[in-house]
Formats: sequence, C-alpha cells, structure tokens
Amino acid sequence: MSNTWLLYMFFAAALLFIGIYCLLVMRNLIKLFIGIEVISKAVSLALIGTGFAKKNILIAQALTVTFIVVEVSMVATALALIINVFRHTKSLDVRKLAKLKG
Amino acid sequence: MILQIALLAGLVIFSALAVLARDLLKAAISLAVASLLLGILFFIMNAPYVGAFEISVVAGLITVLFMTTIALTKTEGNVRESKAARVAFPLFFIVFLIIDILVMKGLVGKIPAAASTPDQGTFGEALWKMRTFDLVGQIAVIFAGVFAVLALFRKRSKDE
Repeated sequence: MSNTWLLYMFFAAALLFIGIYCLLVMRNLIKLFIGIEVISKAVSLALIGTGFAKKNILIAQALTVTFIVVEVSMVATALALIINVFRHTKSLDVRKLAKLKG
Repeated sequence: MILQIALLAGLVIFSALAVLARDLLKAAISLAVASLLLGILFFIMNAPYVGAFEISVVAGLITVLFMTTIALTKTEGNVRESKAARVAFPLFFIVFLIIDILVMKGLVGKIPAAASTPDQGTFGEALWKMRTFDLVGQIAVIFAGVFAVLALFRKRSKDE
C-alpha cells in the first residue's frame, strides 16, 4: 500500500512543480491563475491519495469537497478581479500592474 | 495499477500543456481535460463523491468561468510570454522528476502517520457528523465569494 501512496505523492509533487514554475515565469494573469489551478489539483490528488493509502477515504473525501468549494469561490473572485484589472489597464500583463500609480 | 499510472501521466501531461500552450482557450481546455482525468482517477480510488464534484464543478464550471474571462479580455489582452520559459521547462522538469524519484521515498517515510482507524459508515455520515463545522465554513466561503463578485461588478452611482 505504501507504494501506491508513493506513486500519488510523486505525481502530486510533479503537478506542484508545474504550477509553481508557471507562477514564476509566466506574465499573463490568466496563465498565472491556470498555474494556481494546477497547484490545487496537486493538493486534491495528495489529499485523496493519502486517504486511499491510509484507508481513511471518507474523511479525505469530506476534506476535498470542502477544498473544491473553496477553490470555486476563489476562482470566481479572482477572475472577476482579472476582468477589472483588464478594464483599467487594457492589458493582462502582470508587469504593468507594478507600474500603476495612484 | 497500469491504468492509474496512465491516468496520472495524462494528468501531468495535460497540466503541462495547459501551462505551456500559447492560446489561452487551448490552455483552458487542457486544464478541463486534466480535471476530467483526475475525476476518473478519484472514481478508481473509491472516492465517487469527490470524482463527481471534480468533473462537474472543476472540469465544468471553472472551465466555463475561464472561457468567459478569456472571451471578455481577448481583444487587446495578448501578452508576450518569454520564449526562454517554454524552452527551459522540459529541462527543469526532468531535473525535478529525478530529484522527486530520489527524495520522495525518504520524505513519505518520514511523514508521521497517526494511528488511523479504518472508516466506518457512509460518506454522508462522515460529512454530516464528523465534519459538520466544515459545512458552516463552506457556506461562509460561498457567501464571501458571491459578495466579492457583486462588489467587484458594482456599478458606479451617478454622483461619483
């Protein structure tokens, strides 16, 4: 059973790396948010994988459902923010946000 | 086991495609496919409720939200990404995978595992009886999200 856990944690770490790489190098705001989504997939995979390996799948499911609800609410708020940023700056470039004054 | 590894590899590949794709719509669709694979994986791992949530909410609703945002910001919103980031990704990823293979086994062994009692009852009992406070938190988070979106799209009054 430990091997299964190892497999899930290995792939969760790979997903985490992809998400963090995206957050570090991309400039488009929507791309950055896709990176956050990838990281959240890694987290739900790690939660359910651990629950499956440790035979506590019900608690893991309850936690992951909560996590997905939080994720959806975060996505809605962040995308609304991105649209507002686009209306103000006419661009999705994250570097332009650093140049805003006032 | 082979099916699980194939699904996990597909999940990683589509997530990488979502990050690297030039076209934002293709990126959003790759993300949806990755969610779908993750949902199927959850079904295989005896977690059907989360699988249904993942497929309906994350692969469905979030993709629709992404596409709406992309459509609303498409006209002038193109941003030039650095080419070096795309070129360097496979190199960094392979290096990370090698480190991952070497380190993860030791890391997993070091995680202190609480003495776990196997689950009893159904998912409904686990959610309603053991994690009742989580549900209150979920309702609060949903309301916070709704009010945040309302506040962000509030129209300005004529006085301002």
